[in-house]
Amino acid sequence: MRVVLAEDLYLLREGLIQLLQAHGATVVAAVETGPELLAALTTHRPDVAVVDVRLPPTHTDEGLRAALAARREIPGLPVLVLSQHVEQLYARELLADGSGGIGYLLKDRVLNAEQFLDAVRRVAAGGTAMDPDVIARLMSGGRAKAPVAALTAREREVLGLMAEGRSNTAIARALFVSEGAVGKHIASIFTKLDLAQSDDDNRRVLAVLAYLDDARPQ
Amino acid sequence: MAVLRGLQLAGLAAAGLVVLIGQLAAFVPGFGLGMIFLLPGPILLARRFTGYARTRLDRWTGVAAPADYVPEPPPPQRQPDGYYRHDRQLFRGPRLPRFLGRLEWVLGDMATFRDLRWQLLNPVTGGLLALLPAGLVAAGPVLLWRGLPSWAAVPGVERGVAAGMLGCLALLLGPVLAPTAVRASGYVSRALLTRGGRVRQLLGDRAKGWFQRQGLSGTRVLALLGLSLLGLPMLALTALGLLLGYGLGLIFLISPALSCMRWLANWRRHLAGAWSDVPVPVPYLPRPQLARQADGMYQVGKHLYRTEQVAWFHQRLLWLTHDRATWRDILWLQTDPLVALLLLVPPTLMVVYGIWGLAMPRLWMTLLPIPEYGNAWYGSLGGSAAAAIPVGLLLAWLGGRLSPLVLRLHGRWTALLLAPTRGAVLAQRVARLTESRADAVDAQAAELRRIERDLHDGAQARLVALGMTLGAVEQLVDTDPAAAKALLARGRESAQTALRELRELVRGIYPPVLAERGLADAVRALALDTPLPVTVTADLPGRLSAPLESAAYFAVAEALTNAVRHAGASTVAVDLAAGTVLRITVADDGAGGAEPGLGSGLRGIERRLGMFDGVLTVDSPPGGPTRLTMEIPCASSSPRTSTSSERV
Repeated sequence: MRVVLAEDLYLLREGLIQLLQAHGATVVAAVETGPELLAALTTHRPDVAVVDVRLPPTHTDEGLRAALAARREIPGLPVLVLSQHVEQLYARELLADGSGGIGYLLKDRVLNAEQFLDAVRRVAAGGTAMDPDVIARLMSGGRAKAPVAALTAREREVLGLMAEGRSNTAIARALFVSEGAVGKHIASIFTKLDLAQSDDDNRRVLAVLAYLDDARPQ
Repeated sequence: MAVLRGLQLAGLAAAGLVVLIGQLAAFVPGFGLGMIFLLPGPILLARRFTGYARTRLDRWTGVAAPADYVPEPPPPQRQPDGYYRHDRQLFRGPRLPRFLGRLEWVLGDMATFRDLRWQLLNPVTGGLLALLPAGLVAAGPVLLWRGLPSWAAVPGVERGVAAGMLGCLALLLGPVLAPTAVRASGYVSRALLTRGGRVRQLLGDRAKGWFQRQGLSGTRVLALLGLSLLGLPMLALTALGLLLGYGLGLIFLISPALSCMRWLANWRRHLAGAWSDVPVPVPYLPRPQLARQADGMYQVGKHLYRTEQVAWFHQRLLWLTHDRATWRDILWLQTDPLVALLLLVPPTLMVVYGIWGLAMPRLWMTLLPIPEYGNAWYGSLGGSAAAAIPVGLLLAWLGGRLSPLVLRLHGRWTALLLAPTRGAVLAQRVARLTESRADAVDAQAAELRRIERDLHDGAQARLVALGMTLGAVEQLVDTDPAAAKALLARGRESAQTALRELRELVRGIYPPVLAERGLADAVRALALDTPLPVTVTADLPGRLSAPLESAAYFAVAEALTNAVRHAGASTVAVDLAAGTVLRITVADDGAGGAEPGLGSGLRGIERRLGMFDGVLTVDSPPGGPTRLTMEIPCASSSPRTSTSSERV
């Protein structure tokens, strides 16, 4: 797995390189600034880019904008965005083109190497990895549609994990239930929310996110 | 039969006149002497009579004139706190608020005045009309018996024959005309008693418009003239106060005299804005605070006082006399009557002389069979009587046209001396800035204290715990690897919690989205996190200055919190627009009733905006909707000057 890394803090950058390489990934470029990132992405065309939102020179949302620009040039280029804070606003922008291969996580998640690497692999494979914080805010911050309120507590847990982008296997592992049970929950959720069933993980995530986002009256 | 009905209608009209006179007898002390308790009773009694008249009209003439009174307001209800409320006043007992409610109800109802109109005008219109057939019937025999009066002689016809013919005609016509006359009288009554049709209303509106333009400014000219003359006794009072105060040392007279003068001047400032359309701000310096010193003394100027009252008195005196505006007021008080005479008397005289001096006498002399009278200037112009009417009317018209102009000039004159000087404006601004700076310093200090406490109790403490955990791991790692692993997991949790707390803290200091994206997107992010549908529209040219963005962001956050927490709103709309002024409106459809100064949230917004010379306007009638408008000048958002060495 070839990775382009963009992170301006030296310690964190080195730590991420070590973590990724220890798990069999190759860091083809590790850059510090937005323009460098855009150049690296277009030349190396990596399997996945791990990008910090805030980068020099402006220290605003340089990284996010560079990633979005690269995705316009290379459609579907997998990008995992890291940030000290997560915003629904940014999540919407990242998901807007609907082509998958998007991750958006708090930097804290790096502390759990196992989960972080799982997210990287998922994004590289064209899947989605949304931070639980974003999902939690989507599900509770807005006044969710009545159908969401009609879900059972367990179904809502499953919906949350599904929205993060986890596969059935991962959901089953996280909730300590069998995969079959998860499948039943998911079928029930899709019926209650009146969504089209889909076996493709990514399309499923997008449908669920779009649904939750719609539930937010905007 | 109809002749008798006509007589009855005429009687009704006459009774109306009697009722009117009865009411007027109550109005004179009621309005004139302020004995308002006399007002509602007679009016309500008169309504009974008018009601009776309405039923008679309907039965006798077949013309219905339904009553359209405003329904009586419910009596005041006892509030939970034991008070009774009328308008914005609280009362211990229910009687006074009930009376005030009735008074406003009766006097505020235009139907009351329509009743009065009917009582006044019906006797000479509808009543006379109804009396006409009876009059004819009565005149017939009189003519036959007494013959034609000498003034009605018709040349060529013998008087006896003419009288006989006319008498018979009257006797015949009376009963024939009677039904029509009765019905016409009914129509007249209806026109007087009810609101009237669309045509009448249209005419009424036009007449009202004319009155508003001409009549109103004329009345204002007269009122201002009267007020200026009222300035003369005030001048005498002030002069007396100052003379006795400074001359005989009766200094306690100075403050009241000057306060009275300020009151009059403020009234005139208000009128200049309301009537002459020349707003005149109040120029006085704000009264300084009387502060008690550490040794318990009060310092005023170079004097120290032990008792607060004396210090207060002296300070008030200094505050009044050391203000240049006071002396400008006195100058104004001396010159205003003269200027007012020069400005306001000419148009008044033009109208008065034009109508009563030139036009009216001539009109009387022309229309009525009275002998000619008058002199060279009364009723005629330089001896020419024919010119008097047109010139008189022209003069009156000119006077009327002049009055708005004169009003405006008078307003300018008021502004000349009563408006604040540039120095006073600056002084007021300094006072306001001092206040908002003190606010800012306090708020900043409190904010820093909060951040310090949060860091101290939060992240700092967690890092200490993390360090200790790592120390324990170091000791355990060789002897008990399993325990060490468990400790490490706890350490990681601890680090994660610290990160979360730091994130929340940073959000409260300066939201990251604001730093990364600017105001519009930060407010959008805020809207997404608000548990209500919030629509955000923004028209901002690029980034604003950071302090301004921050203040605006937190003000919007506060407003949204209010909408969610207090207003019970179901939707909120935020609009951001920036030109020379950053204007933010937050409108919700909640319960309303928000008042600035009451809620700490609104006070907080005002404080945040105050640092940037921004203003908050709250439009929140009880029952909603609420609309907050915040306006912050963009230009003065970062007044950094290189010479400033002040540290806050």
